[in-house]
This record gives sequence, C-alpha cells and structure tokens, in this order.
Amino acid sequence: MKKKHINAMEWSCAVASIFAFLCLWHLGVKGDLGRLMPGPGPVIRMFLETLFGGRIGSCTMAVHILYSLARVMAGYFLGAAAGVVLGLAMGWSRLVEAVFSPLFRIIRPIPPIAWIPISIIWIGLGEDAKIFLIFLASFCNVTLNAWSGAKSVDGDYLRAAQMLGAGKGQLLFTVVLPATVPSIFAGLQVALSSCWATVLAAEMVRSSEGLGWIIIAGMNNNDMVQIMTGILAIGFVGMLLSMIFRKVETRLCRWNKSDS
Amino acid sequence: MKNFWKKYKYLLISCASVAAVLLVWYLLIDVMKLTKNSVFPGVEKTFGTFVAKLAEKKPDGATLGQHLLESLKVCLLGYSIGAVLGIPLGVAMAWNKWCDWLVRPVFDLIRPVPGLAWTPMFILIFGIGVEAKAMVIFVNSFVACIVNTYTGIRQADELHMWVGDVFGASNWQKLTKIAIPTATPMIFTGLRTALGGSWMALVAAEMLAASKGLGFMIQQARYISRPDLVIVGMLMIGVVGLALDMILQKVETMVAKGMNAK
Repeated sequence: MKKKHINAMEWSCAVASIFAFLCLWHLGVKGDLGRLMPGPGPVIRMFLETLFGGRIGSCTMAVHILYSLARVMAGYFLGAAAGVVLGLAMGWSRLVEAVFSPLFRIIRPIPPIAWIPISIIWIGLGEDAKIFLIFLASFCNVTLNAWSGAKSVDGDYLRAAQMLGAGKGQLLFTVVLPATVPSIFAGLQVALSSCWATVLAAEMVRSSEGLGWIIIAGMNNNDMVQIMTGILAIGFVGMLLSMIFRKVETRLCRWNKSDS
Repeated sequence: MKNFWKKYKYLLISCASVAAVLLVWYLLIDVMKLTKNSVFPGVEKTFGTFVAKLAEKKPDGATLGQHLLESLKVCLLGYSIGAVLGIPLGVAMAWNKWCDWLVRPVFDLIRPVPGLAWTPMFILIFGIGVEAKAMVIFVNSFVACIVNTYTGIRQADELHMWVGDVFGASNWQKLTKIAIPTATPMIFTGLRTALGGSWMALVAAEMLAASKGLGFMIQQARYISRPDLVIVGMLMIGVVGLALDMILQKVETMVAKGMNAK
C-alpha cells in the first residue's frame, strides 16, 4: 500500500517537473530571447504536423526518421558482425591478437566522425560513405567488448571443459561464446548510441534527407523551429532505440540476470 | 635464444604486423603508384606533411600545434564546466528522492539527444565562436557525468549504510564517508566517457563551423583535396584522444586507490 502511495507521488512529481520545464521554456522565450528561440508550442505542433502529414524538405518526418534508421541499421549490423568475429578471435588466439591488436589500437581512438573527410575523398558523398562511418562506430565498440569478454572467461570453466574432453571447437562454442555474450551485449548497446550520434554527424556534413539533414537545413535557413523539432525527433528515436535494445537484452540474457 | 623467442614472440609478431601494413602501404602507393597522391597519399608524403605542418601555416592558416591548442582549449573548457556541474547534480539526484523525482523526468527528456545534435541550435544562438562549441561539449560531459555519478551513488551497499547508522553517522557523514567513496570509480568512468565523447563532439562541431582547430583542419584539407593532411589530422585526433584518456586513467588510480576493491 505504501509503495503505491510513493509511486503516485513520484508520478505527480514527474508531471509537475515536466510541466514546470515547459512553462519555464514558454515564459523564457516571451522576452528578448523569443526572437531567437521558439516556445514549446510551435515545436510540438510542427513535430505532430510533419510526422505523417506535412513535409520538411522533400518528405515527411516519418520518412526522414526511416532514412536515418536504415543507414544506422545497415552499418550497425555489418559492424557488429565483423566486431564479434574479430573480437572473439582476438580473445581466443594469442596469434590473432598479436597480429591485429596493434592495428586495432591505432584505429580505435580515432572517433568515427574524424573519418568523415577521408571517407568522402575515398568513397564519395553517397550512402556508402555514411554506412562506412557507422560500420566503424559499431565495429570498434563491439570488437573491444567481445575481445575483453573473451579474454576474461573464467579459467576454471575452460579447464573443467578440457578435463571432460572438450575439443577446441566445443570449447569455443559451448564455453567461451556463451560466457562472452553479456559483454558483447554491453558493447552492442554502446555501439548503438554511438552509431546514432555518428549518423547525425554524417548527415549534417552532407545529405539531402534524414534527421541530421533536418537540423542542419534548419540552421542554414535560420529556422529554429525546424532545428528544435529535429532535436525532439532525434531524442525520441534515440530513447526508443535504447528501450527496444534493453528489452531484447533482458530476453536474450535472462540466464545472466537470474545468476546474480 | 629459444627463451628469448618464447618471451617476445607475440611482441615481435605485433611489430611485424604493423611493419607489414606500412610496407604494403608503401609498396602499393609509393612504389607501384596505384593511386594518385590526391586520393590516397603514400607513407612518405603523409609523414612529410606531418613534419612540414608542425611549422607551416599553409593551407589553412595555422600550424598543427596551434590547431591542437585551440581544440584542447575549447574541449577542456566545456568539459570541466560540465563535470563541475554534473557530478554534484548526479550526487544530489541519487541521494535525495525529491531531487530525483523533480529533476529526473526533465533529464530523461534531454539525455537521449546526442550532444552533436545541439550544434546547429547553439551555433544560431551563440555564433561560431568558442561559446557554441563549448556549450555542445558542456552538454555532452554534463549528461555523461550525471548518469554515471547517479548509478555510482545508487550502487552504495545498503549494509554499509546500516553500519553507518549503527555508529550514529549523520546523513551528511554517510554521504561523504560511504556513498561518495563507493561511487568514485564509477564517477571516473563517467569522466572518461565524457572526455571521449567531448573530444568527438568537438571535432564534429569544428567541422561544421570554426576557423581553427583540428576538425576545421581536416575539413579544409578535404575541400582542397589534401588527403595526406586529413590523415595527419585524423591520427593527431586519435593520439590526443588516447593521451587524454590515459592521463585521466592515471589520475583515477591515484585518487581512487583502494576505494573500491573490485
């Protein structure tokens, strides 16, 4: 009973604080700042109007979101697949680690965004360049986590499996791989948000559709409502992505949670 | 000899692998001339550009050192303001339920927006000077610091709190003697994530609007088709990012020594 009461308190606080935030925003733009910044009303109205009906640039908001998501997904899954394979191989074999780890250590600290100019020179301005950037963003994060995960598998498990006569292949697929899954998932989650930021940057530099384009076009046209609508959509989709991801993770890694 | 081989085998393989990549690069571009220098520069050219750029102001108006200093200045400015404001707010949110209930909903609204996405807005409000970029970085580090500090404080062991209660610790003592030391490693994780994110956001912001800085340099180099300069800039950005992270790691081991045995 008491728990329910606290929950109600918490909810009302949340509503009050968001309401206060909107009011503050509304009042804040009444004065001089109003010439630069729109209030919450126009932004929310524009978001709802353009979501399916009106247009920003060449298509509706929903299509812009789909464009950005399609780019993210293509690069993300390619990068994740490559990253898991390389990371596991590096954690599994000292030889592979010795060959690839110095190269990986050189590439990793370069943020994916810093690849934008060179990717444009090499690949051009089309979709491929953006997918390449997102690939990098997801690849580096996933590799790092899969690698450290595979390296930190409990030695007792390995020795126990070996004592029971497991072959190398069995050891890899029935012991190391499952033990690495939680760490791979942590990497996948970081990679997802990093990819989401990277696609925006890539679209801001050069594109003609997508959420990054919305905000940069808003800047070029001095249209603050469009920028803030774009920011709203970006935050909304980013939140949705991480929520979906967390759901998937709790389903797939249920055994991991019940352990502790 | 055999012992030596055994001991340094993997180190040697690592060196060999880097050397092999450099060699292939050299052979393909410098010797066989597969591509033009304006598409994929050779080893010699890239290295030459790096050395020359240390002193030369062409073609973008500043030497490599000046670009680097400018970037670092903006990055550290926004970052430290974000950390100084973010950590106390994170502590307050985790410690006081009213603060949590009132601030967190608004914070949850802002958090999923990557720092980068604020760039166009801040550029319109503050212009393309230091302020806009510092604000982008501020948002980045502020969010990362709050998230990690909050989780860190929340991780404080309830048992330790009870021990504090038994010995008659006040609320303030429990916070400063138990919760904050428990959270310190987590806070440092936040600081490191924030620094990496800040550095990345800065490069992006500089590519959009700046007149100096490493991001500006690589963008200019792309406009005039100087991939050698782009690669020098990229490697510089990577090395500096790595160095910043290592410095912070050193600070962490000094400050957080023995605070949380993991």
